[in-house]
Amino acid sequence: MSSATNSTNNLSNNSSSDRQSPIGPYPRATIAGLALLVLLAFSFSGLRAETWTALLPFFEWMETTWFGYVGKTWGGAFATIQAGHLVSLGVLGGAVLFSDGRLLGLYSSLPLREVIDGSHQVFKWALAVVVFTGVFMACGVAVKVYYLPVFWYKMLTLTVGVLFAFYVRKPLIDRDLSVVSPLVVKLTAVASIMVWFTVAATGRWIGFS
Amino acid sequence: MNQLIFDISVWLDDTAWSTAIHESYYLYNWIESTHVITLMLSLGILFLIDLRMLGWALPNVPATRLAERLNTPMLIGFIVMFITGILLFYAVPVRSSQSLWFRIKMVLLVVCAVNAYLFHRRMTQSMSTWENEPRAPSTLRKGAMISLAFWTVIVLCGRFIAYDWYDCEYPQPDLVRALAGCIDGQIRF
Repeated sequence: MSSATNSTNNLSNNSSSDRQSPIGPYPRATIAGLALLVLLAFSFSGLRAETWTALLPFFEWMETTWFGYVGKTWGGAFATIQAGHLVSLGVLGGAVLFSDGRLLGLYSSLPLREVIDGSHQVFKWALAVVVFTGVFMACGVAVKVYYLPVFWYKMLTLTVGVLFAFYVRKPLIDRDLSVVSPLVVKLTAVASIMVWFTVAATGRWIGFS
Repeated sequence: MNQLIFDISVWLDDTAWSTAIHESYYLYNWIESTHVITLMLSLGILFLIDLRMLGWALPNVPATRLAERLNTPMLIGFIVMFITGILLFYAVPVRSSQSLWFRIKMVLLVVCAVNAYLFHRRMTQSMSTWENEPRAPSTLRKGAMISLAFWTVIVLCGRFIAYDWYDCEYPQPDLVRALAGCIDGQIRF
């Protein structure tokens, strides 16, 4: 009973999201959209090649760090961190599928607000572990991945995923979902699943390249 | 027993489909990618349930209802993982069957299956008493901890299979040779 009351209160508690901003009713989504446009413009401009060349010393430095040393020297440590990366990716994916599945109308007997808020907490922790273990792994093979196009696709999709999760999806699901178009909610859920699936798929493809 | 496993593996290895899978760059990689990415559906959802039972996540979501609703997608994920796992084994049967890590993984899979059965039975027997509690009873929490720990080790073993540290083709301690089921005179991997 108490959880049902909390759920109702949380659903209607959207005053902070409804505050008007100078850049419109969806400031975080607008900023994320602009950031993605800048990223796209950057990808198709001559700046990309210059930046890529300038980043080589950074990747060479990554291999000289303690992470790089451990990753290159102890195969067992590298494989263990890889396993941690996979487990945390699995948990991240589970949280995304659970939360977005609920937004798509699955498991409708479970309380909506508790599911999406609880899943977001799990998602944040899993993302932190994914990024930490990912940085460790990249340090071990930094110069190799530097020359792999699929590594950069993965970084691009990860950036899109993080921007989407925190600047588009989160502000939307924080609102009172009963007044948001169901189509918008479902499209957001589908987009979220597709983005994180792409992140996982490109990551897997690094291993084959 | 090891000789029998070896003979069956050699027989599988000689079939045309096994050769077709391991010699196809794209097919093998697609199967392996599906196996790994399905972690999100199977292991990801299983871990959500385990974390909920331990009180570490989703404390306000009714626990047994969560487990019941997520059962179907989780099982779909595990079925896909099982099928792709069999195909991966079928593609490289001799080396896989003689891999120490593969054997540990198989034993742990059986342990996890038994643990899941016991967990489900205990959960259905006691669900009415703690459904909305932030943590499950002690016996279920133990089951959730075993599940989290063993599945993590299973993923670890899955990663280790790719490395050749304890492969039979290299000199190994007797214990490793016994556990991996190395066959004297074995020439094919």
